Amino acid sequence: MSISITKFDGTKVPFNADKINKSIERACQGLMDPISMVTQIATETELTLYDGITTNEMDQATINAALQNVKDDIAYDKVATRLLLKTIYRKVVGEYDKDNDDDLDLKHQAGFVEFVKKGVVDGKLDPRMVEKFDLKELSKALNIERDDLFQYAGLSTFENRYALKNMDQTPRETPQYFFMRVAMGLSYNEENPTLWAKRFYNKMSRFEYIAGGSTNLGAGTINPALSNCFLLEIQDDMNNIAKSVADVMLLSKGSGGIGASVTKLRATGSPLKSNNGVSTGPTPFAKIIDTAIRAIQRGGKKKGALAFYMENWHCDFPDFIDWKHNAGDDYLRMRTANTAAYISDEFMKRVKTNAPWYMFDPAETPDLCELYGNAFSLRYAEYVELGKQGQLRVFKQVPATELFRKMLISLQTTAHPWITWKDNINLRAMNNNTGTIHMSNLCTEICLPQDKDNIAVCNLASLNLAVHVVNKEINWGKLEESVRLAIRQLDNLIDINVLPVPEAVKSDSENRAVGLGVMGVADALEKMGLPYESAPAYDFIDRIFEFISYMSYDESANLAVTRGSYKHFEGSMWSKGMVPFDTLDVMERDRGVKVTVSRESKHRGLNWDVLRAKVKKGMRNATLLATAPNANIGLIAATTPGVDPRFAQVFSRNKISGKYLDINHNLVKDLKNLGLWEEVKEKIVEFQGDISGITEIPDHIKAIYKTSFTTSAYAFIEVAARAQKWMDQAISRNMYLDTRDIDETMKIYMTAWEKGVKSTYYLHMKPRHTAEQSTVNVNKSSMTGKVGFGALKRVAEVKTNDESELLADSAPITMTVEAEIPVMQPVAHVAPVQHAVPAYVAPQHVPQMAYVAPVSYAAPEPVSVPASIQPSLDIDRLRSINEPVRSAAPAYEAPRGGFSEVSRGGFSEVKPKPKVIFAGAKTCPTDPAELAQCDSCQ
Amino acid sequence: MTLIGKPSPEDVNLHPLRYQWAYDLYNQAVRNTWFPHEIALKEDLADFEKMTEDERHAVKFVMAFFNPGELIVNRVLALGVYPYLKSPECHLYLAKQMWEEANHCVAFEYVLETFPFDRETIYNVHLEVESMKAKEAFVMKFLTRMTDDRLDIETTEGKKDFIRNLVAYNIVMEGIWFYSGFLVALSFRQRNQLRNFGSMINWVLRDESLHLKFGINLIHNVLEENADLLTEEFAAEIRAIIIEGVALENAYNKDLFPTGILGLNADYVNQYVQYVADRRLEELGLEKQYGVTNPAKWMAGATDVYELVNFFESQNTSYEVDSSASGSHKKAE
Repeated sequence: MSISITKFDGTKVPFNADKINKSIERACQGLMDPISMVTQIATETELTLYDGITTNEMDQATINAALQNVKDDIAYDKVATRLLLKTIYRKVVGEYDKDNDDDLDLKHQAGFVEFVKKGVVDGKLDPRMVEKFDLKELSKALNIERDDLFQYAGLSTFENRYALKNMDQTPRETPQYFFMRVAMGLSYNEENPTLWAKRFYNKMSRFEYIAGGSTNLGAGTINPALSNCFLLEIQDDMNNIAKSVADVMLLSKGSGGIGASVTKLRATGSPLKSNNGVSTGPTPFAKIIDTAIRAIQRGGKKKGALAFYMENWHCDFPDFIDWKHNAGDDYLRMRTANTAAYISDEFMKRVKTNAPWYMFDPAETPDLCELYGNAFSLRYAEYVELGKQGQLRVFKQVPATELFRKMLISLQTTAHPWITWKDNINLRAMNNNTGTIHMSNLCTEICLPQDKDNIAVCNLASLNLAVHVVNKEINWGKLEESVRLAIRQLDNLIDINVLPVPEAVKSDSENRAVGLGVMGVADALEKMGLPYESAPAYDFIDRIFEFISYMSYDESANLAVTRGSYKHFEGSMWSKGMVPFDTLDVMERDRGVKVTVSRESKHRGLNWDVLRAKVKKGMRNATLLATAPNANIGLIAATTPGVDPRFAQVFSRNKISGKYLDINHNLVKDLKNLGLWEEVKEKIVEFQGDISGITEIPDHIKAIYKTSFTTSAYAFIEVAARAQKWMDQAISRNMYLDTRDIDETMKIYMTAWEKGVKSTYYLHMKPRHTAEQSTVNVNKSSMTGKVGFGALKRVAEVKTNDESELLADSAPITMTVEAEIPVMQPVAHVAPVQHAVPAYVAPQHVPQMAYVAPVSYAAPEPVSVPASIQPSLDIDRLRSINEPVRSAAPAYEAPRGGFSEVSRGGFSEVKPKPKVIFAGAKTCPTDPAELAQCDSCQ
Repeated sequence: MTLIGKPSPEDVNLHPLRYQWAYDLYNQAVRNTWFPHEIALKEDLADFEKMTEDERHAVKFVMAFFNPGELIVNRVLALGVYPYLKSPECHLYLAKQMWEEANHCVAFEYVLETFPFDRETIYNVHLEVESMKAKEAFVMKFLTRMTDDRLDIETTEGKKDFIRNLVAYNIVMEGIWFYSGFLVALSFRQRNQLRNFGSMINWVLRDESLHLKFGINLIHNVLEENADLLTEEFAAEIRAIIIEGVALENAYNKDLFPTGILGLNADYVNQYVQYVADRRLEELGLEKQYGVTNPAKWMAGATDVYELVNFFESQNTSYEVDSSASGSHKKAE
């Protein structure tokens, strides 16, 4: 087949392998073994071409060919990243001399001035971007070499989500332009905007911190809606409900995620004054909003996202639990919005004591929404009494434990509702002088009050802890600098921010709330060599968060000196000389139950008393810290999101910008240093990113590189609790569970509350069953000890014992078949062919060879002689013919035939690897029948 | 009691369980329950608008095969498998599988109704395109023998027919043809196209992986219980059925990709089909036929590892519906 390429202008030219090879070669420069990499990518690219392919598709095909090899060598990620960068440069900067780096650098600098000026002329960028800055100086500050910090998933996320686009969706900016645009867009009001833009740029472009998603989209543009989070409380009247729907749509359009409380909406059956009818309850109203957010493309990028909050004393709470179930009346289900339960101390105490729980119609108990802690409990008890005396229209009673169980079962099966704690949030609020916090936000890390005149707003950025680790140590000086600049940048944002709803503008400008988060925690721990689940790691996190919070509060107090305090400072906890750590005691006293997190400071040298005196004089911002999930900016910065553990050592990310295979570069480097990588790389995929069962890997490596499902859930809680004690807002604490035991799950969530954690986020359950694996060897039969027609061969082997060698090659049954055998005829023994291909073949020759025998290049895995004919195994095999042993045999049969469809302990057939269940350090049986009874596996 | 044979009154006694694997598969299948309406297709529609003609053709062609294909499997199960099985745990599983096939059919129907397709045309493809007709005829040929009055399941020939039919619909159709369809469908997902359709395919694939596991277990257990089936001749015949299935798929792939699209062409998919067929042969205890490597290394990211979903961006397809059991189970102890 002759292949032609369709160029941008529609003309066709013949496919030129040399040209492609040359560009791949450039992308492989300086890497280990570039020639074989070029060969591999060129060969696999050509496999996927077709006649008439466009130039764009050609670029994509090369990138895809590089990407599919990342699981074998992370150097391919570098190649894919460079190839993608090249396409971005070409689209933004224009053609350049690819063999002369200076040429690109100069054009890249010159292009920046052009990008800003043209952006303003085209009505894309704010005129201040030209007026306020010395563009020439800024262009010289651009450092194109920092593009080298990207991994492919991050660069692709940048291009798809954050890069400003032309009408035809091609990018208008390179990554460095982007970082500079954001830096400039947050510096308009500085005395020396150029200077500060450079400082902010240097931080972001080195991934030391990254601004929040909305800021990345809007900064510097004519539409600077820069806030990430909005929290609105829906009031119990038709006008306000209708207004809330409109507000949700407007806020979604500005790309924010939304928390919306529905606790105040009267219960189903509650009387309506206007027409003597009864209310339909919150569900149908929520459904309107659920539908509304589907219609909105956030920032033109993704559909609206919202979480409904409801307190669990609401009569309709049992329905609320069902909102996310996948079956049932579609009008009673939220397909798009998320749900979160907002829980009181009173409830948790009743769960502990197996006491009954009462639910009310908020129309009759409206003040419960505003009360928290002990005050809530007292009022709640009064309502219970009123109910029992028959003085309420309606109330429900359930055992508290049963309700908790029901919530967690739903959490396990639908990932909703998330569990958040009203009293932990409110009793520790620094800003409770401005009212009650009725909910958290879409990602459960924001704790700000709201009422009918205030839609709470939060502005985010996240520090990347991992890049502050140098030689297994934190560079504290650099970290302090990052914190201070990030806080300043966030504070700048508020005066530039343009929000579409007056209640949000009011709250934003009067509270100046910001949320600096931390990402790369797991990444940093790996770089320090600390297991996530270990006391040193907990202490490390404790120390880090103490330091970051200290510097954040201190910087805000500094800013207050020069810029003034936020409007509602007087009356706040700050103004009483308190810091967030001090509110732990407040909470404990109110709760009357010990908060079980360590109060000890792990960081010497921070004088909190000095800071207490300082914050008392003034604070620029109502809140400073919030650790967001960083699902996107974590990718940008090529690190682990938030405080999350590694999901697995290899896994795939299903993202709006694409599907990415994520492999842990730290682990790969460690294994390479140990000389183990080549040996174990396929097993890591086969074991779905869990290295605990791979015997070749030493234990100290296994301890550092656990997956989210092999790490104890209590570790997630301990990490959150240690960080939380220093913070004024909260943490998006994703949870991961291997167990489906509801009693155990209840214990885990109870512990979170006891340790003072304010909120938890998604619960990820380990799947028990996944689809059959494609790229690793799978033989479902050998896993169960079945031989099928293989039994015949055993008989044959006995007969021709001495000729077993011959038998291996002759494949006896093949010859009886006459079938049309396709082009890519197998070679009887593929392995030798592989060796025959020299690694140093000149790359440009290879593509032609690809069609002859693609086999020889594709996988480094030789086609092995079936284990069944290896002499050493014959005896076992023969036994198994007459007496199919199901337990013992498989364990030895196919060392790398993963029983991929079943996750560990899923069901009766099971991976024939030594299995350790971590919770009880118990080894599970391998016999299918016995296994089905095994508790640890269910 | 044996796995296959003529029905007897004891066949409806579930306990004692003899084929635990079938019961376990049933329970897992129940947990995997999903519904098409959980998938929202709006963004996919926008993708479809932007696709090239060849890409649209591939999507439609795959749909045209799957939609009736799911119902053909159901017919085979109802007429060719269920009646000859004596094990009640297998009956339980098949009942759930048949619901799943129906659910898949309705899911494809849901896509057909949402996308701007000429549905009549698509419904007729499998009646008109030779390569697709040949595939259906292949499966029906084996089923016809199962519905013949003269079939006696307790004779060697009857048992052979049972296995032949099982291999044709389960190994070839569900285990090879469907898998090449999944490859094509998921390749769009890999390029960030048809993401939600891709989520649906993830679910279908998860179900089909169980169907295949059931089928392979069934074949092995029948072979184990019936030594009269273990002959070189019969092994060769089974092998030939699979190879014929691969040849039919090669012809079909030419119609699927007359030219090719980004990342896929007929040769590429053929190689994948051969790779999968080798795996099936080995799973039955037969030698590989093709010895090719998997050209689609990217499938590692599509199917081989756990998926981390940003919930408010994509439908999470790894949740399972059950759970009530575990806690109360512990209490009972």
